[in-house]
Amino acid sequence: MRAWGASNMRAAIAIALVAAACGPKATFRLSSDENNAYELGQALSKRKLPASPQPLNTAGEPRAFVLTAGSPKTIVAYSLASGNALWKTDADVQSRIVVGGDFIVTKEGEDIVARGQDNGAARWRVHLDHEFVGAAADQERVYVVTKSSDEAWLTAYDGGDGGKLWSDAAQGSLGAPAAQGGVVYQPFLAQWLAIVDGATGQQLTRLRNEDQQISVLRVTSQQAFYGSKKGLTVLDANSATVGAGASPFAKVKVPDQLERTAYGRDAYDPVQVSYTAADRSRIFLGSASGAAAGYAIHYFRFVLGFEADGTLKWAYSHPRVELVASEHTGQVIVGISSSGDLVALEPSTGAVRARKSLGTTAPVLGATFDADGWSPGEQSEAGDTVAALVSIALDRDARFDRVKELAVTALAKLPGPDVTGQLLAVLSDDRAPQHLKDTVVDLLVMRRDPGSLPVLTAQLGVHTDYIAGTEPEALAAIARAISGLADAPLDPGQVTAALAALQTHLDAATTASDELVHVIGAMSAIGGGAELPALGSHFLLYHSDDTLGGDASWQKAIVTALHTRGGPQERELLRQVAADPRTRPSLATLVQETLGE
Amino acid sequence: MKRMAIGALLAVLTGSAAAQKAKKKVPDRDISADVAAVYGADVEAAGKAVEQLGAIGTPAAHEALLDALAMGLTPSVAMLALQALALHPAPPDVLAIRRYAGHHDPATRSTAISSLALYPDPKARAAIVAGLHDPAGMVRTAAARAAAKGRVRDATESLIALLARGEESAAKALAQLADTELARTLADQLGKVPEATLALALGQILLRADFGPDQSKVEVVRAIAKIQDAAAVTALTDYIDSPVSQGKASRAEAEGIVDARLGGK
Repeated sequence: MRAWGASNMRAAIAIALVAAACGPKATFRLSSDENNAYELGQALSKRKLPASPQPLNTAGEPRAFVLTAGSPKTIVAYSLASGNALWKTDADVQSRIVVGGDFIVTKEGEDIVARGQDNGAARWRVHLDHEFVGAAADQERVYVVTKSSDEAWLTAYDGGDGGKLWSDAAQGSLGAPAAQGGVVYQPFLAQWLAIVDGATGQQLTRLRNEDQQISVLRVTSQQAFYGSKKGLTVLDANSATVGAGASPFAKVKVPDQLERTAYGRDAYDPVQVSYTAADRSRIFLGSASGAAAGYAIHYFRFVLGFEADGTLKWAYSHPRVELVASEHTGQVIVGISSSGDLVALEPSTGAVRARKSLGTTAPVLGATFDADGWSPGEQSEAGDTVAALVSIALDRDARFDRVKELAVTALAKLPGPDVTGQLLAVLSDDRAPQHLKDTVVDLLVMRRDPGSLPVLTAQLGVHTDYIAGTEPEALAAIARAISGLADAPLDPGQVTAALAALQTHLDAATTASDELVHVIGAMSAIGGGAELPALGSHFLLYHSDDTLGGDASWQKAIVTALHTRGGPQERELLRQVAADPRTRPSLATLVQETLGE
Repeated sequence: MKRMAIGALLAVLTGSAAAQKAKKKVPDRDISADVAAVYGADVEAAGKAVEQLGAIGTPAAHEALLDALAMGLTPSVAMLALQALALHPAPPDVLAIRRYAGHHDPATRSTAISSLALYPDPKARAAIVAGLHDPAGMVRTAAARAAAKGRVRDATESLIALLARGEESAAKALAQLADTELARTLADQLGKVPEATLALALGQILLRADFGPDQSKVEVVRAIAKIQDAAAVTALTDYIDSPVSQGKASRAEAEGIVDARLGGK
């Protein structure tokens, strides 16, 4: 979604003012009544909305219209209810597919083309004299927005024969429209939402937001929302009350890692006239009234479910390829992958409610759903959030590095040794980015899950072995994680095992000094005194060593461990070592300072 | 020096038998000057002192060495102390030596592992086998030699793994450890390990006077004959030239193979 700064807004208004001074009278003007509660009520009451959520098409069948790559491209009509393709037809489609009652509409070349939903055959074709901005449809009509350099038009055509019904001009830019129950929602100059009678082209009323632009529309069979990348407002009778917060406003917490997500298509972005990558990062509100019931975010291969407070609730990771299109039917979140797989997710749990193959061979470029209210009757597969988060964390695609951080952060909040094991798997992954591993290490340290100690101990079982070709994996990180368990209620048997495992690394020739620091810290953190003989022996072995004995970090770690956790014997040991003429001078000084002598 | 206080402390901290024994042993002769030198700042003097203690060889000198190792020595002094200790091996040494078998300094590790060859203690043998897995080549070489010297049969599998990586020390160690069965096992490694290294191992077996009966050597000679590498001819030639082959059927077998190989050139 593009940013719309104040300077852009002033420029647009200035252009519109010039146009207003020169051109014929336009329907969409700068000066017009707005936020009129009575007129809004009248306008909304003109809508013919179904009693329950249902598809727009006259058959009432949930459908998806899929565009696949090729030369020419192919439109595939698919019945979600039967799980079968209805028809396929080649077409030079250069827009999104717009769904009407018994027809669909696309831009093909420089024409608007309508095709029957029964067989995909072209029904009528209208040449566009100006640049295409977007289109919408209801059961009977097609609404097309075009623009020139200084003017824009909203034009209605008969869905049956393509006859031009009316055309409204605008003193400024119009965004892509939306239609619902016989009215057209028309964004104007990024700050107004005009509501137009679809039958006559008469502007019934218009709304203006006080503090945000209007560039995003989302319409279901019963509900309409308007807003921007900042959030969506429910369009209802209270929407004319500017700034009072009368209508539910949904603004969800989007994690920083999920950049570029949006509530819908940016009506003013010319790139989004067609299916784009923007369709792969969508926010779906959990209910018609906003985000109170939680929300979900489709982000390329992944769909993440959140509680209303932003807590990650569930995750779904689509195998191998991205979901290129998605929609919330009110019952499920449905997505279609680039390889032609359809998946429907339970919004509250992420459980897979349906999984089908469209049978397409060419890559899917995008899709439009006409499936409001669709609820698959199939038995659902329980969602496996841990597996999905792990899949995200271990994904090879560098584009998702930030999402991986989100995944491991969410993963770390889940309890249990299995989760710890999965986090450790990230550390063991040679191809995982370093900053992700750093994040995992921090999370492991903060995790403080006593149940994870056996998993961490097991990970310590890997040692440097020339013949086996093994190296300890993330030794320092594991040791830090164990250190994080200081003062946690731990099973004594597990502590004994952990200490024994840590000591193998304490005594190992190949444990680097920076790792030793953390191993010593871990032993000290959980040992409860049982670690002191091993640490004392280690201290003596290296106190006069030229290399390790002179390492300042090691000195501090071992002296601190013996001094803070030890008793009189350890303090006597420290004194003896400080007095030993072979002791590294810096170590002797540190010991004396630590002992206060 | 507060030797006895440190010894008592070590007994608590490390469970060192040496440290505990240090409390009750009485030296046979005055070693106090050497002991003082060991704990002094002069590394060269400390080195000479541990060598002297090893040469003295009394129980008190031996325990002084153990005590010094338990207290921690710089690598250069530790290596001399380990060698001195091994001049008069005793069971309590193993614990002290094993501690240095995991030292950060590879040379110190090598020396410790070499010393362990003199101890039949299972823990000593385990440390030798562990040394074969060490990332430092010099340590693996020392461990291979120790395995051969100490007849550590448990090391066979690791040595064969090193043989597959072309390590000569492993080939020589296996040759020293080999009986008829192990020789056959090695012969079966053809195609799995570098030919030159295998030829070296089998050739070294032939040079052993204690390996037999001669029919077993004939089998080894025939195994070498299957090796295409020129090292096979070298191994057989060395055997033919060796006094141990005099008058043996295995020598005649080897000569025939060498003649055929060289004549075929």
